[in-house]
Amino acid sequence: MAERIRVVKSRDEFEGEIYESLAVVEGTDLPPRPAGEERPEIGKPRARIDGVQRVTGRATYTHDVVLPGMIHAAVLRSPYARARVRAIDASKALAIPGVRDVIHRFNAPKAAFRGEDTIFRDEVRFIGDEVAAVAADTVGAAHAALAAISVDYEILPHVVDLEEAMSEKAPKLEEDGNVIESGALKRGDMRRAFKEAEATVEATYRTSTQLHNSLETHGAVASWDGEVLTVWESTQHVFGVREGLRNALNLPLTKIRVICDYMGGGFGSKGGVGKYTIIAAILSMRTNAPVRCILTRREENLAAGNRSATLQTLKLAGKDGRVTAVEHTSWSNSGQAKWVANPTGPTNTLYDFPNLQTKSYRVVTNAGSLSAFRAPGYVEGTFALESAIDELADAMGVDPLALRRKHAGKESDPRTGKRYTLNRTLDCYTIGAREIGWSRRKIGGMRGSTPHRRRGLGMASQIWGGGGGPPAYATVHFNADGTVVLRAGTQDIGTGTRTVLAQICADELGIELRNVSVRIGDTEGPYGPISAGSLTLASVGPAVRLAAKDARDQFLAAAAGVLEVRKTELRLERGHVVSKGARTPISEITKKLENNTVIGKGSRWPNPDQLSIKTFGAHFAQVEVDVRTGEIFVEKIVAVHDIGRIVNPMTAASQVQGGVIQALGFALSEERIVDRGLGRVMNANLEWYKIPTVRDVPEIVVRFTDRPDRKANNLGSKGLGEPPIIPAAAAVANAVANATGARVRHLPMTRARVLEAIANMEASS
Amino acid sequence: MSLFSYTKPRALGDALKLLRNGTQAIAGGTDLVTLVRHGLARPERLVDLTGIDGLRGWTREKGQGIRIGALTPLAELEMSNELAKILPIVPQSLRDAATPQLRNMGTVGGNLLQRNRCWYFRDEGVPCWLKGGERCFAIDGENRYHAIVGTHDCWMVSPSDLAPALIACDAEIDLRSSAGSRKMKLVDLFVAPRGRERREHALRSGELITQVRIPEKALERRGTYLKAMERKAWSFAIVSVAASAKVRDGKASDVRVVLGGVAPVPWRVVAAEKQLDGTSLDDNACLGAADALLADATPLRDNGYKVTLAREMIRRALRSLVT
Repeated sequence: MAERIRVVKSRDEFEGEIYESLAVVEGTDLPPRPAGEERPEIGKPRARIDGVQRVTGRATYTHDVVLPGMIHAAVLRSPYARARVRAIDASKALAIPGVRDVIHRFNAPKAAFRGEDTIFRDEVRFIGDEVAAVAADTVGAAHAALAAISVDYEILPHVVDLEEAMSEKAPKLEEDGNVIESGALKRGDMRRAFKEAEATVEATYRTSTQLHNSLETHGAVASWDGEVLTVWESTQHVFGVREGLRNALNLPLTKIRVICDYMGGGFGSKGGVGKYTIIAAILSMRTNAPVRCILTRREENLAAGNRSATLQTLKLAGKDGRVTAVEHTSWSNSGQAKWVANPTGPTNTLYDFPNLQTKSYRVVTNAGSLSAFRAPGYVEGTFALESAIDELADAMGVDPLALRRKHAGKESDPRTGKRYTLNRTLDCYTIGAREIGWSRRKIGGMRGSTPHRRRGLGMASQIWGGGGGPPAYATVHFNADGTVVLRAGTQDIGTGTRTVLAQICADELGIELRNVSVRIGDTEGPYGPISAGSLTLASVGPAVRLAAKDARDQFLAAAAGVLEVRKTELRLERGHVVSKGARTPISEITKKLENNTVIGKGSRWPNPDQLSIKTFGAHFAQVEVDVRTGEIFVEKIVAVHDIGRIVNPMTAASQVQGGVIQALGFALSEERIVDRGLGRVMNANLEWYKIPTVRDVPEIVVRFTDRPDRKANNLGSKGLGEPPIIPAAAAVANAVANATGARVRHLPMTRARVLEAIANMEASS
Repeated sequence: MSLFSYTKPRALGDALKLLRNGTQAIAGGTDLVTLVRHGLARPERLVDLTGIDGLRGWTREKGQGIRIGALTPLAELEMSNELAKILPIVPQSLRDAATPQLRNMGTVGGNLLQRNRCWYFRDEGVPCWLKGGERCFAIDGENRYHAIVGTHDCWMVSPSDLAPALIACDAEIDLRSSAGSRKMKLVDLFVAPRGRERREHALRSGELITQVRIPEKALERRGTYLKAMERKAWSFAIVSVAASAKVRDGKASDVRVVLGGVAPVPWRVVAAEKQLDGTSLDDNACLGAADALLADATPLRDNGYKVTLAREMIRRALRSLVT
């Protein structure tokens, strides 16, 4: 069999960046099925196969894990935005009954974490930074111990606000200053385009820090049995956590197992090992007891990452009904993170602007660090870009959708010049415009439902990756009763991964969905990628299909032996082995085979060379605005996405609804509020950090172009995790501007900001 | 969280005997539990009032107005069709208060005595003035939701939705302690913290609210309650307005306008109400009253929008009484 193994070079996109990698694959890939082919499972709306477990509370999340002898960890976090930890005295804490251990920078083993060699910094850099951790028999004793630890801090000057950190007067947090360039792109002749422009627009946009607030906070339960460290963690990547633990603890991979059965959301913030994981592991190894380390909601909102606030400037030139040049500069408050998401990403690739100049900076501050958050950079950048395009359309007196049509839906990627596998943006526009009634849109908006309300329409476009890629593996084997076990190296972060993989498996095998059992979220299975970057389905799904196909081929060979017919005369269909004139239930074959079985294997093949795989879409919004009270009523969102073939219309619609709702929070109410003097997050809770409630959710119309992207992979499917959060805020902002004539350039669009924009407009007219 | 003991007496007299320093009464617990969790209340003993009969529910006796027991769950008032007919402002004020779950647990007495939601006060790591510290951090801090008027040493705002509505109905409260009983106008229960009075309520140590009374005369007035929030549910008011008036032949008299979310107490200016007497509550009259209510407003860096918002909401609330 070994001669079937090949190494192939692959080019994959992740969160807007292209990476080259190797793919180890086996056998041959399958061609995608043609558009319109009716399939027993793929394309069918299926309720989640684990839905009952979830809603009855039987599903085991990391928060639910209770092990015999388990003890509890709690973390002492810095109360200062910036300080040097000079000394720690934990003797009083250790004297409290039930307290087992206290670790801090003076006694903890070195543990590599994101480029640093310790999890307890010498200089703590934000309120919430880890200073020490305790393990105790009860949560109460652990918290009492935290209060009893005495720390000698040398308080240092801090800066938490993005724009303050950019000023010369700010304390310098890095040797080279607080502002660090992180990306730039240039094409064409900017000077000439602006000189020859008929209309220009220049504006500054601001977005606020958005906190993930996954329902399940970050956390891990670690159990060291003297031989193997087993970790239950709420994570988007069990293999990533395993790798992070290997780096931190210097253990071979055979001694680390990571499990994530069910999890309550991650949105990008649970991409790998956390300090809480390493703390739980170290404390478990030191105390010889299982240790539970779960963040509180407050800790979650201080130290578990965020979508960074941005300041963005845009300068646009237009001529002859087209956009001729765009200059986009962005600064992001990345806290202490060593990277930054790129808000100029959409500007670089969404439209074929002939002249372009973009720059992106990360700004270091003493606030909680950014982490990936559902389409990082693209949500913030699309708001600014798409607002500015509408402003230019207004200045030129053209319809904003018509202006976009001239620059979107092209055959190739304007940044790299590579051809797209498929780009149906223009179809998204047509569908969306029809569903929202775009032809009703009037310059200056429409009358609303009460005297002081105005109604408006707005739209915005979406571009994102989502093509996935190798490596990803799956196996499929038959049980003695004819049911099937699918193992894949992935995890279900709440998107419905279990269900759609079962559908792909059942579809290819020709068996019923209920006869597939899915085993994922365990590093003892075959490798699979992080569930992020909208890549799970497009990476793992094709491997599952190949594993099922391999299992089917092998099973039919076995069945041929049992039935004493030629294999070529057999096929699998609706749970039966079908031959000329005879239908034998699979279970009859497996019964005869007893516990002899077959194991199918599948791997993800590389992406097509020299082609660009992207997802596209457009959102349309209808809003009403009360111009006297600043209240925004989002009435309807039409979300249209071009993501290739839809495997499960029901879970796909859920993804879109969730993305739109999270985008509405970003647009209208979600904002981390930090006191600059104290450096403190004042709303690290769900009272004043306002995520949308069910009453804030408008009518959401979900549409897909639903045609297979046949060059992308053997399913013709692409990802959908992130696309639906990207354009909604921009569409709503454009609708608000259309309704009121006032442009709100600062998200979220609170009452204060809407009233201010309206007052400014009235003052200038 | 500190350790405490817990008692559930069956009679009001027993409960009153237990209330002394270090003891805290609890009913729905929707506020107290969060205060204890965050170290803002450290009771040695909790006295659970929910086992006491006779303080739950509301009644109306002809000519005697309405009596509401202090232990009545908010949801009971909100859902009452009967109350919606005779005193609609009260169920209206509760419709957007907190969430259905909190309204099921929260009681009338607890709602009136809830502590403020200022994020400096609620953060145990911030030594704010109201907690005995030296200064109010909101003045030059993050103050978009803070007071615009009626402040002295503390810029928190009165958070209750029910209080402005009840004050607009001239509500009075009955208080009991082991030493005796007294009555007061509900409006006098609320005090703006100043000087040595670092507190929000005029309740004496060991006292309980037993009932709220609404005089018969107030039932003759029309009333309305408007609330502005930063999202469509589960938010304390940015600004709220309770307004009531007797309207005859298109002319208003006996007008009440009470604002929530703008001052450390439910904000009322009697002169502003008086100037509406005899008017038809036209836009000019309403805005004139709004200006009188907000005449002393001194907004901070981020809460000036509340003046604009309150002015318009006062106008709308009053206009709705005649249209």
